[in-house]
Amino acid sequence: MSLSSPSAGAGSAVLPGPRSRARLGRPSLGGVLQLGFWAVLLLIILLPCLAFLVLAVSPRLFEQGSSYFTLHYITGVFTGQTAVAIGNSLWVSAVASMIGVAVGFPVAWLTSRTDLPGRGLITAAMWLVLLLPSWLPSLGWVRLVQLDGVMYRVGLHLPFVTHAVLGPAGVVLVLGIRNVPFAYLAISTALAGMGQEFEDAARVHGASRLGSIRVVAPIIAPAIWSAAAIGFAEAVSDFGVAATLAYQANFQLGTYQLYTAINNFPPSFPVAASMAWLLVASVGIPLGLQARALRGRSYAVLSGRSRQVVRRRLGVRSRLLGWSAIGLFFLVALGVPAFGAISGSLLADYGGSFSLSTANYSAVLSSSVLVAPVIRSLFYGVITATVTVALGYVAARHLTRSRTRATRFLDFLLLAAVAIPSVIFAAGYIMAYNLPILSRVGIDLYQTVGLLIIAYAASSLPTNTRILVGSVSQLQASLRDAARVHGAGPVRAWLRGIAPLMSRPLIYAWLLTFTAVFLELPISQLLYAPSQPPVSVAIEDNLSNYHFGLGTAQSVVAVALALAVVVCVLGAYRLLAPRGWRQVGAGR
Amino acid sequence: MLKMGRSRALLAVLAASAAGTASAVSASASRAAGKPTLIVYSAQGYDKAVVQAFIKATGIPTKLDDNSTGPLLTQIEASKNNPNWGLLWVDGDTAFAGLDQQHLLLRGYEPMVNWTPLAKSLLPKDKSYTPTGLTAMAAVVYDSTKVSSPPSTWQQLLSPKWKGAVGMNDPSQSGPTYPFIAGMMNYLGGVAKGKQYFAKLKANGLVVNPTNGPTLQALTSGQIKLALVQSSAGVGAALGDKSLRVKYLSPATLLPGCIGIDAKAPKAEQQEAERFIQFVLSKAGQRAMQSGDPTGDSLYYPVIRGIAPLKGLPPLSSVKTQRLNPYAWGGREAAINSWFDSSIK
Repeated sequence: MSLSSPSAGAGSAVLPGPRSRARLGRPSLGGVLQLGFWAVLLLIILLPCLAFLVLAVSPRLFEQGSSYFTLHYITGVFTGQTAVAIGNSLWVSAVASMIGVAVGFPVAWLTSRTDLPGRGLITAAMWLVLLLPSWLPSLGWVRLVQLDGVMYRVGLHLPFVTHAVLGPAGVVLVLGIRNVPFAYLAISTALAGMGQEFEDAARVHGASRLGSIRVVAPIIAPAIWSAAAIGFAEAVSDFGVAATLAYQANFQLGTYQLYTAINNFPPSFPVAASMAWLLVASVGIPLGLQARALRGRSYAVLSGRSRQVVRRRLGVRSRLLGWSAIGLFFLVALGVPAFGAISGSLLADYGGSFSLSTANYSAVLSSSVLVAPVIRSLFYGVITATVTVALGYVAARHLTRSRTRATRFLDFLLLAAVAIPSVIFAAGYIMAYNLPILSRVGIDLYQTVGLLIIAYAASSLPTNTRILVGSVSQLQASLRDAARVHGAGPVRAWLRGIAPLMSRPLIYAWLLTFTAVFLELPISQLLYAPSQPPVSVAIEDNLSNYHFGLGTAQSVVAVALALAVVVCVLGAYRLLAPRGWRQVGAGR
Repeated sequence: MLKMGRSRALLAVLAASAAGTASAVSASASRAAGKPTLIVYSAQGYDKAVVQAFIKATGIPTKLDDNSTGPLLTQIEASKNNPNWGLLWVDGDTAFAGLDQQHLLLRGYEPMVNWTPLAKSLLPKDKSYTPTGLTAMAAVVYDSTKVSSPPSTWQQLLSPKWKGAVGMNDPSQSGPTYPFIAGMMNYLGGVAKGKQYFAKLKANGLVVNPTNGPTLQALTSGQIKLALVQSSAGVGAALGDKSLRVKYLSPATLLPGCIGIDAKAPKAEQQEAERFIQFVLSKAGQRAMQSGDPTGDSLYYPVIRGIAPLKGLPPLSSVKTQRLNPYAWGGREAAINSWFDSSIK
């Protein structure tokens, strides 16, 4: 067991040899790349975020007010409805994050460590939950339980259910369910990297099955904390639920208040920026808890000696129990939003009756104007996911190295960026990259495909890094060192020593980014290149112009396409990746 | 295989970056050559059809940022120290008055057209924006199979007969709803009296939904009996559902769809923008407007003589209409929306 090993991570174990010392006089390739990584981070995340956040205290810098310095907007956030909304966001996000881990952990355990049948199906379904925009389940719930909704039409007069779902409990439920896939992916990739030897050791020393889980669970603590932190940050920045279910329940959340500040005319960017400050500061809570829990420990458990996992055989009763619980979860997580979307897309008359029609689907599939945005978003998703995974891996490596000021800063920056609502992120991009001085030197990036993809990548990077950090923290330096000792160059050493172990998490991270970008709305709305709308903008265009059925049909087609991409990528990995790569964490 | 895959991805990234840079460079180059691309920011349902017809008729390169009104105004406000738009085309003149007060609109342009008297009354003195069509806010939509005698005055909505039966949109999510609220305040004699009216409406069970679509859905599903929505949305719904009827109560507040030109755009682009406006108000432009979204925004009342509204639109002449002073009411929008948010919703 190496839990108290002095080695703090993958990159710190190799002492500089004579060759390294000889190179001290000139910058090494690694140093240059590291500098480039930091420069990219500062340019694509820090600069736009700062540009917007500075607005809270200095609106005049961006022609958004008369003061060069004022605390008026910051102090205003702590009063009235805004304070209530922020308070609601904090407790709702905390509970939602706990729900995510509480459900995601056992499901990840069942699929990673047992022979529960249909494990591939569970993973695919988790992806489906993940790629649904959060407003879709909200819409489904509202249609189901509202006073004239389906529940009442089929004769179930349950006003207490309506009251519960169209209230804080419903909001927590939907956000909590949304967090489950994050927890599932982070924890299952970490479990895949944890060899059998730890459970064996626990069992040899007399631990029961449950006891062995208790013993080994702390080993994947980085993944669990990452899942909790990202769940909190995702929930605190969510707008889809805030604008639909929470809105219907008259339960105000911070992001909705922020939206109204921007959507009013004239928009009050300083007020929105002040609220964003508070949301950003709030991610300090899970980060602080995470740092406190993980301080001084190493979680590098994946090495060349890791033993392949032996899946626990479940009895018939356990299988039934497991599938019943998982089935119930997916019924709630997928059944309700599917009902909301599909029922909306099949009704031609604003959803007032139950007469079904496929006219909306025929219109979507026969019109090039409606299909082109889908293809465009596929392209944007592929490019963004590829760039983001490369950057995310490097960022995850930094985070798992020994704690320095730089890594602590990186940690906070990445999580704070998750908590910044996308609309703020996009407005920050306009302010940072549409400065007159840039235009004067011939750089007009605003409303170009290039800047849109950069913004997509920047907004996806924090989540992506969090997903990878659990797996990367398990890599021991010996893996790469062994390849280097045998004469491999840095790239070859990575390909031979690290890639086989990281291929699965990297594929998952790629898919996560792809699905998130594919239906992303706020950034797309503010930054897309004119005449080249992504699919989310096209859908919103239909919904806002009273073409509700057409918009929801387009959403269903888009989600189906995204799911097809997920299936194709996972299928290709299964067919094309070397067998050894697929066996890491696969178990016997 | 893997190396090729990575190389291709890298190439694709470079290609995308290059595409972005290229478009930026080409935009700059075309501006320098005196033929800039006209950028149209629009929230109108028929905008794609009009832009296509305009390009076909004039050959002027034109690109469309098709968004809801909220994001378009956010883009304009966020980029006002270096604007990228040429034209803004949305419903409601209060936003244009606000932009004009910030000196963001080109003043002094009026297209050469034969205005209707109603449209003429909507032209701003400084000619900073141009009306292109009219809708009314709010129209009362009801199901004729369930409601035999709809209300005939705004005051009747407060009676017990309509308790829990009236629905309207939320002004913080629905752009056309603020002009309706402001219009009621204007009609009733001021902000305070208007607030009292909406407070009574709330006490009578007013149902607030985000936008036109959900309010109409609440009507067709039976949750409410009267939907107060934008006339184009109401008439569009009635075209699809023959049991729905649309009625105006006096006074109906006029909601003009307007176009304004960016004051900071290059001169050549401003001239193209003027040609665009002239085209929109030509017969060809009106044809495109009326065919672009026949069950939605195309259901407007034309502002030029000789163009008839689409069939299905009830005549505006049967009802008293009122015009809001956008310069007086535009500045109150944020405060009134906040009040509605905290006191009525």
